[in-house]
Amino acid sequence: MADADEDVIHAPANASTQPEVDLSDETQDFRFLNHLNFFADSSPGIPRRGEKDFEPNPTELQADVLAASRGAMHNALSYPRLHGAKTRVIAFYAPDGYVPPAQPDRAKPKAEEDGKSSESTPKPARPLPNSARISPDACVYVPSPKGQFFKRMGQADSSSRIWLLPEEALYLIERGSLDIRWPRPSASAGGPGEEDLSVPMSLQAAYACFMGRGSLTLERYSVYTGLKRLGYALVRAPGWCDDIEPQDTDVSDGSKAAPAKLHGPGLAGILGSLFNWIHDPLSTASTATGPIIGTGIHRHYMDVYRKLAIIPWYDPVTAPERHPFDTAPPFRVVFHVYKPSTPFKKSAPPPPDFRIAVVSTRDQTTMPTMTQLGALLESTPLTPRVGGKWSGVVSYLRIADSAFGKEKLYENKGGPQGPKRSRTNQKPRKQRMQTMEMSIVHRNRAQMDLAHLSVTYHLCWVVDHRELKMLSAPIGAIVVALARIYPTLVTALRQTHPSRSGSGLATHIGAKIYISYDTT
Amino acid sequence: MDFQPDLPIPISYVSGRYLLFSIDAVTYLRREHHICGVLIGTLPQIPQQNVFLGLPLELMPEEARLLVDKGVACIVDEAKAHDGMNTLLEEDRRRYLRDLESQGLHVSRIQSDRKERNREQTLKKLEEKKAKAKAKANASAAAVQTPTVPEEATSTPSPKDAAIVDIFNAEDRSSSPSTATTSMPPQGAVAITPATSYPPLPTPPPSSHLSAPAVPPSYPLFAHLHSKGYFLSPGLRFGCQYMAYPGDPLRFHSHFLVVSYDWDQNIDIMDLVVGGRLGTGVKKGFLIGGAQKGIDEVDSEADRVDTVRAFSLEWAGM
Repeated sequence: MADADEDVIHAPANASTQPEVDLSDETQDFRFLNHLNFFADSSPGIPRRGEKDFEPNPTELQADVLAASRGAMHNALSYPRLHGAKTRVIAFYAPDGYVPPAQPDRAKPKAEEDGKSSESTPKPARPLPNSARISPDACVYVPSPKGQFFKRMGQADSSSRIWLLPEEALYLIERGSLDIRWPRPSASAGGPGEEDLSVPMSLQAAYACFMGRGSLTLERYSVYTGLKRLGYALVRAPGWCDDIEPQDTDVSDGSKAAPAKLHGPGLAGILGSLFNWIHDPLSTASTATGPIIGTGIHRHYMDVYRKLAIIPWYDPVTAPERHPFDTAPPFRVVFHVYKPSTPFKKSAPPPPDFRIAVVSTRDQTTMPTMTQLGALLESTPLTPRVGGKWSGVVSYLRIADSAFGKEKLYENKGGPQGPKRSRTNQKPRKQRMQTMEMSIVHRNRAQMDLAHLSVTYHLCWVVDHRELKMLSAPIGAIVVALARIYPTLVTALRQTHPSRSGSGLATHIGAKIYISYDTT
Repeated sequence: MDFQPDLPIPISYVSGRYLLFSIDAVTYLRREHHICGVLIGTLPQIPQQNVFLGLPLELMPEEARLLVDKGVACIVDEAKAHDGMNTLLEEDRRRYLRDLESQGLHVSRIQSDRKERNREQTLKKLEEKKAKAKAKANASAAAVQTPTVPEEATSTPSPKDAAIVDIFNAEDRSSSPSTATTSMPPQGAVAITPATSYPPLPTPPPSSHLSAPAVPPSYPLFAHLHSKGYFLSPGLRFGCQYMAYPGDPLRFHSHFLVVSYDWDQNIDIMDLVVGGRLGTGVKKGFLIGGAQKGIDEVDSEADRVDTVRAFSLEWAGM
């Protein structure tokens, strides 16, 4: 065991031989940007990682290289955000939020000013159905949208102006794709000379005005923009607003019932029923008083194994659905994320590929508690990700439920015995495969970044003896981390199952939560 | 390059975070005060990647506090400052717009110049190629000539540039030869989104400055290491509080993973093992430290910094 231990630790030491190196993990030398031709319109590739020195020495060479690096950084960062005549998209800041176009005094001059007199058709009183989709937080509108960005962003109102949410507007202005204007100084009669005075908004002004608007925090924005830069599409999830309480939704009675169930018999109740199901009702003995196997006739090893499987396990499929607002605010899904390859329609977003909750690790320094995680997981049918952020650095955690108990290892041990329960066999097996893949791929990273959780022990054997060599460390290791952080949880479990030993407890926790770390 | 901004530098306080938008301030603080921060914005020239990021620069509260304590910077509530945008005088607006326009004209002139130069270069290259081909055809027997290749390699930094030039060249030829005279007449000034709002807005008066940022208990260690010449950056990536770099992170790898403890705090041996092993695994030292005096025993944070002690751990194995 000790040898395997050492291997795992030393693996990252020869990081240079690893094929996958995350460039964004470190400050890059901006000189490499100089090789890119900014004025060419072909998209430049990302430069290779450069060599760095070990420590400063008083040589002139080093000073020169450093000065060159800083100069390159200065040049790269001072590159202006330009809007060529052809690609320029003008937008206007509306400090008061969405204004329906029925008010001609606001809508008309803007339409004219963009040279679009066709816009001045009398505004119909009936709004298009998607006017209702415009969030009250939207504060920037684009009178004549063009370009690819509005396929995945913004909502059009009845006069085909596109209204952008603050994060969308900020993202676009930051990447130099949108020219946002301040609103006109006053409602002065807009002569043609007056229109020149719409001042462009600076990046600084955009941050000052949009940040904090409609619960947009810098953490959320960092996550948003980081994923946008990678090509994902993001939309706000229903849990966006922190202040929404469960009672002002009409499903409040349903959502109240769910937590009661969880805090009362909750997990144990579900487990109990599964436990009973696993058990043969015809069994002649009870585990509390007699031998587990009992005195029945056992014609097959399978029967014996099935009776030995007394440790209850958790199945995420049977867990009750919960309302998103049952979750405590930081651990609540705020973004739905779509991969670039997912066909995405603004009007009817498909089920998201990822759900993201954003947590500031400055304010929230511990891992979520079991209750918080449980609530988060139960409110989502799929895998959420938690993005943690600490002063500009974002890291993502993927949190998933897995039902280790679903896979009956003893059943596919001997091959020919399998087909008996092929239905329950197939699905979990796939799950296990995924789990193993993920843990192997991210092994080193998980170890590095969850280090402050005291990842020291490997408890894989709890999951299954025979798979010991195949399972990688972090699954078990994280089990320990969680158990250490949440002693109350362990106590609770002990009370629920007084007869179980420590390893059994670990199984529960391990079966419930699996975390892999990933810095996309 | 060695631009000296007016002190104190205003740090924008936006929704609870400390940001810098002026590139001159960023370069100056990095060069003179070893404050790097974290770039969080998108680079407009290559927007679809996360390796190189651009302005704004986010400062940790510790960094902002350090600068404020040194008298180098001040904190400005940016949302409030931008209320002044509504009351901007008309002539100020006009002047500002004129400035922007002249900048835009300048940029578009540079762009068209560059285009022109590129064209000329490619044309020249084409001619050279033609001449070379002719020469080769003429004297195909004398195949011992290699001199032009290395020369070219030095003049163009990467083969990619050549490819870009080729693309450009192809485009140009296909469009029309007559564009040479009329290529992008500088009729339209390029519109510019400025990075900061401080030409149109007046510099905020000192009375409007916010108080120094609140800092976490790890601040004394931060300030201590900073005073020793280390560059510090947030440590989330390595599961610590700060990363300590011996020099500018642009050119040096970090040496320490830094975690701060209170003087009387019990340290879990597991944390030490974990930090030590992790640090050694990534070729860094695991550094712990803290201030001997509590905040109530001294007059100011600065006094605590003098009482900081730090220790580094290395995983040796037996």
